[in-house]
Amino acid sequence: MAGAAQHRGAFWSEVWRYRHFYLFISPFFLLFAVFGLYPLGFSLYLSFMKWDGLTAPVSVGLENFVMLFSDEMFYTALWNTLVIGLMYVPPMFLLAFIFAGILNSKRLHLRGLFRVGVFMPCITPMVVVAIVFTLLYSAESGLFNYVLRAVTRLFPGGPMAPIPWLESEAWSKVSVALLLVWRWTGYNMVLMLAGLQGISDDYYEAAIIDGATRWQRMRHITLPLMRPTLVFCGLMSLIGTVYMFDEVFVMTQGGPGTSSTNFGLYLFNLAFMDFRFGLASSAAYTVSIAVFVVSLVILKWRRPATD
Amino acid sequence: MCGKVLKQGLMYAVMLAVAALFVFPFYWLLISAFKTKAQIFVLPPQFFPDPVVVQNFADVFRATPIARAFVNSCVIAGGHTLLALFLCSMGGYAFAKFPGAPGRDKLFAFVLGTMMIPAAVTLIPVFIVLTRLHLVNTYWAMILPGAANAFGIFWMRQYIAANVHDDLLAAARIDGCSEFGIYWRVALPIARPALAALGILVLISSWNNLMWAFIVLREKSMYTMPLLIYLLHGELRTPYGMVMAGGLLVTLPLIAAFLVFQRSFIQGITVGALKA
Repeated sequence: MAGAAQHRGAFWSEVWRYRHFYLFISPFFLLFAVFGLYPLGFSLYLSFMKWDGLTAPVSVGLENFVMLFSDEMFYTALWNTLVIGLMYVPPMFLLAFIFAGILNSKRLHLRGLFRVGVFMPCITPMVVVAIVFTLLYSAESGLFNYVLRAVTRLFPGGPMAPIPWLESEAWSKVSVALLLVWRWTGYNMVLMLAGLQGISDDYYEAAIIDGATRWQRMRHITLPLMRPTLVFCGLMSLIGTVYMFDEVFVMTQGGPGTSSTNFGLYLFNLAFMDFRFGLASSAAYTVSIAVFVVSLVILKWRRPATD
Repeated sequence: MCGKVLKQGLMYAVMLAVAALFVFPFYWLLISAFKTKAQIFVLPPQFFPDPVVVQNFADVFRATPIARAFVNSCVIAGGHTLLALFLCSMGGYAFAKFPGAPGRDKLFAFVLGTMMIPAAVTLIPVFIVLTRLHLVNTYWAMILPGAANAFGIFWMRQYIAANVHDDLLAAARIDGCSEFGIYWRVALPIARPALAALGILVLISSWNNLMWAFIVLREKSMYTMPLLIYLLHGELRTPYGMVMAGGLLVTLPLIAAFLVFQRSFIQGITVGALKA
């Protein structure tokens, strides 16, 4: 009894001794509690409520989740997210990998200029970029169609018909994907360059002595050792595609129809256009948990292969 | 020998072409800002504005509160960044340099765990909180959320733990420096590179933020640059000349800063990769 009290006294005197520690972290935790923790719990609570933000919330049990999984638009949004991701991530990875290789070869000049050019899209306001691309994509007077027609005019069959980049359901995802490749290649390039620079030259020298071909060195040294970097880039792309917003909000408004509505825009519309706070919260939770699980699966591949 | 030179020359040509392709949309933004709406849509496209028109800039300053929006953007991005840097560096310093504090490791593990929370989940409740605190349509609605950034505290802790030596702190303590003074005058100056990288990351995402501005800023006098341009673009019969002029004005400061401090920028944008 006395021992416990003494122990407790010792604990509090330790806390007092380290009071500056708690003082220093308290502003962070205060703000974090208000804008991070409380919202996290409140959002979970809202998942089981029907609420428009004005009238009193009504408890509806699991109805939001039932409604979510019977909402055709939910599946459309997930499908669009997947298709856009599959359209832009592979070419972006390939380009970023090649560009990183260029930046990593020390014999080349102009690398600084190249890096600045390719990286520049990553820092600019998406709203401006999306508007510029809207102009470039314009079917009648856009530069892309102008150039395509000018080039195809030289071939038999004459100039091709203008592509309805943003006007047709078939092309809208392609247009978004192209914008994303342009926007994020530089980011992945820089990350992959850091990965390449982390690989010691010794491996390559030993492999060359052993007579390994260029392809064998790529296959058995570079790719296995780049695995953590590639996994990280993959994770960022996954998260970025699911929660992407500005690109589609500005350039396509999710259309034509619903052809380019990804999950991020779907969620935004549920919450701040339809004011279905309960349904939106359940959608956010459901997809966030799914993304989290997929991330864990991807992270399993993080460790560099040792074969 | 000749083949090698040719190959190298070809390589440079490809590199220049690729870089030009990536920079091209910025060029298009630049020249479109100096075209009339008719010139923007004319065929064949004008690769150089003929004539060069500066009317768009006069128009956008006359017809929209863009000067005010620029000030708003500066206050919001600056305030948000300074607040985030202060909170994260002070917390990171505490986590790095008070190893004996009871509960330290548990608290830090907790912070790390919250890095996984996507903003999508907290979007609605944060809006509700701001509404209840009567902060909607104020600078605070843009400055406060996200300033307590879990990644930021992690990043500052790593840097301070590795670069600020305990002897230095002990010496300052013996000299009678206050605990806050030790953080402010000893640890912070050493952590400058980490502050710069984190600051750039936070500053850019704050400056470019459209969605949150769209949700919480209601009155014209509160608009940020991205929101103003978005709404201008959404107007009936979009005034493209003004949109492009305004777009150039919101993009230019970032590009100028990027060209000067490109190394810090690239490091700043990619600090998250540290986790990999």
